[in-house]
Amino acid sequence: MLLLLVTACAGYGFYMYTKKPADIRKADALYQTSAPGLLAEFNKDELAANKKYIDQVIAVKGKVADVKTDATGQATVFLDSGDLMASVTCSFYAEESPAAKSLHQGQEVTIKGKCTGKLMDVVLNKCSIDKQP
Amino acid sequence: MKNLIVATMVLFAFQTGHAQLRYFTKTGSVSFQAGTALEDIDGVNKSATSVFDATTGQIEFALLVKGFEFKSALMQAHFNENYMESDKFIKSTFKGKVTNIEKVNFKKPGEYPVTVQGTLDIHGVAKPVEAPGVFKVLNDETVTSSSTFSVTLDDYKIGIPGLVKDKISKTAKITVYCSYAILK
Repeated sequence: MLLLLVTACAGYGFYMYTKKPADIRKADALYQTSAPGLLAEFNKDELAANKKYIDQVIAVKGKVADVKTDATGQATVFLDSGDLMASVTCSFYAEESPAAKSLHQGQEVTIKGKCTGKLMDVVLNKCSIDKQP
Repeated sequence: MKNLIVATMVLFAFQTGHAQLRYFTKTGSVSFQAGTALEDIDGVNKSATSVFDATTGQIEFALLVKGFEFKSALMQAHFNENYMESDKFIKSTFKGKVTNIEKVNFKKPGEYPVTVQGTLDIHGVAKPVEAPGVFKVLNDETVTSSSTFSVTLDDYKIGIPGLVKDKISKTAKITVYCSYAILK
């Protein structure tokens, strides 16, 4: 009995140890929102918005304000929030970066990613394009 | 308090009416390595915000701790829950000054070694740090910055349990890379 328990624990430990971080692309979005709506929630009550959104997978609809590519080819998409000072920063998976780069300014898009909080922008990590009308 | 820091940063970034030259990025990369020979432990954050003033040398960074990405889910969980307590300490910031900014000619493409001094806030603990770095002027509108320095985890009250102390280094090597665009 004890041996079984030890084996089970060791097995679980090994599984946890080698487990990759969850693939956000395969996860369902817990919340569907818009870039202006998301920013408004954070501006109204950042603590409440932190509790609600941080670590959650969300799908955000908005207009592409800008697309930036870094030296390693990694793409970041900024969604317009209607506020000049703030937007929604969406940092893409490396494999999803080519799709992100094909977006153009003003285009409507829904981006899915994991929310990490708000600096000046609300930031989404591990993003992919959810819907492209 | 953290809101105040970001608010100040926003003001600092967008203040107008001065003939100052400011550079800005929202896609800065900050990575760290805290592994030992026994295990690689590293994380990278690609959405750091940074601004600097080419006239005064003032420079600031801010990032969301939850934004660090890891190779292993367990490492990510330990980093957030046990070491950084990122539910409580959501942001990490650096505020300081490039002490020899006058040595950088922003009109002339090239590499310029610099020294940065300031206050680094990690895990709710603020400590003075000094780090060497390089500004690379690419053209009139783009400058990149890079820096590598070490911090002692104990200084920031990041405790390592005895069980894993051979796997985790007592210091973390932090590497920063930013590609700034001029603020108009």
